Amino acid sequence: MRRGLRNSISGIIAILLLSSVLHAQTPAPPPAQPPAPRNAAAKPESGPAPAHDLTGVWMMRNPPGSQRVFTNFTFTKDLPELTPWAEAKYKEAKASNGGEFTLKTTNDPVLTRCDPPGVPRVYFHPYPFEFVHTPKYTLLLYEYDHTVRRIYTDGRALPSDPDPLWMGTSVGHWEGDATLVVDTVGFNDKTWLDRLGHPHSTQLHVTEKFRRVNKDHLELDIIMDDPKALVKPWTTTFYYELRPKWELGEISCSGDYLDFNNFEK
Amino acid sequence: MKIKIIILMFSVLALLVVSIPTFAHHGTAAYDTKSDVTVKGTMTEFRFFNPHVQLYFEVKNDKGETEKWQGELTAPNKLSRAGWDKHTLNPGDSITATGYISKNDNHTMWIRKLIGPSGEPLQLFEE
Repeated sequence: MRRGLRNSISGIIAILLLSSVLHAQTPAPPPAQPPAPRNAAAKPESGPAPAHDLTGVWMMRNPPGSQRVFTNFTFTKDLPELTPWAEAKYKEAKASNGGEFTLKTTNDPVLTRCDPPGVPRVYFHPYPFEFVHTPKYTLLLYEYDHTVRRIYTDGRALPSDPDPLWMGTSVGHWEGDATLVVDTVGFNDKTWLDRLGHPHSTQLHVTEKFRRVNKDHLELDIIMDDPKALVKPWTTTFYYELRPKWELGEISCSGDYLDFNNFEK
Repeated sequence: MKIKIIILMFSVLALLVVSIPTFAHHGTAAYDTKSDVTVKGTMTEFRFFNPHVQLYFEVKNDKGETEKWQGELTAPNKLSRAGWDKHTLNPGDSITATGYISKNDNHTMWIRKLIGPSGEPLQLFEE
């Protein structure tokens, strides 16, 4: 891109950056937004998806055709109906107030203890992830906090009596050429589903459908199924773009964010 | 080309919206977001590490006094993807910084635009 054009784009983007930051920082209810259509257009020129291959670094983007996500604190505009068990737990959660918080005002386990985020909360961290395929398992490497998930693709069944883990135990299989379906069970109940504090139980079963719609675009359907916490499954779709030039860096929650005296003013 | 710009803007908007949490610990309440301030200064220190890249620089005010300023940018991994490294700025470099001033300290800025020693704006976000 030519220099002058790049500079003016930088200028525009700087302004857009600020307006979007301001909008999202306000702790207000999310504005109305129609659900993104499944086969939404606005996918710029891209080649066909390679078969059975999600290799690469992916970064979240807005749903096609929308100016901004409704919020990066929860999955959907309408909040899910909770069971009485979950409702009681939700009342105990003191979330981070849209970003306006101190360590005294929140009990968010990620912010206050750098606990692992769990699945699918990990997708709220604004950092890329990377797929690495091996013959028997696929690794999902998240830039956030050195988080690694191992998705077994060797045909094994989901464990029927899994140990409770922060990030669960995952198996995956391909549907067609370009959709990787990942099932995860065996979660402990110490994580929040989202950044608002919606709870889940150890019964949580998360299904992620990674649909590579073309070479550069990935759509991720997330289904959270937890009869103990959610009256019915909670679903959403996130959108990702391939970043061929990116490499994952490092974010250490406990190393870099826990000592808030550094920057809490 | 127009479509490319629109797509770039959409993509960047997306990135920027989900980039908010890097400022989450400060919150916008800590900054006066009503207007930008621009200052010219000379770098004294450049801290290119997590959680936020920080610039320390000196500004000569109207009275000729030297003010000590601090500027905040995003996380270094994001700036790396915008072409930065720990040598992008150095003590002695001239910079022009534009941004929002902290309500707690009027020499702390959340930098929204930065012109580097070459006179060119530096990209402040990953793309």
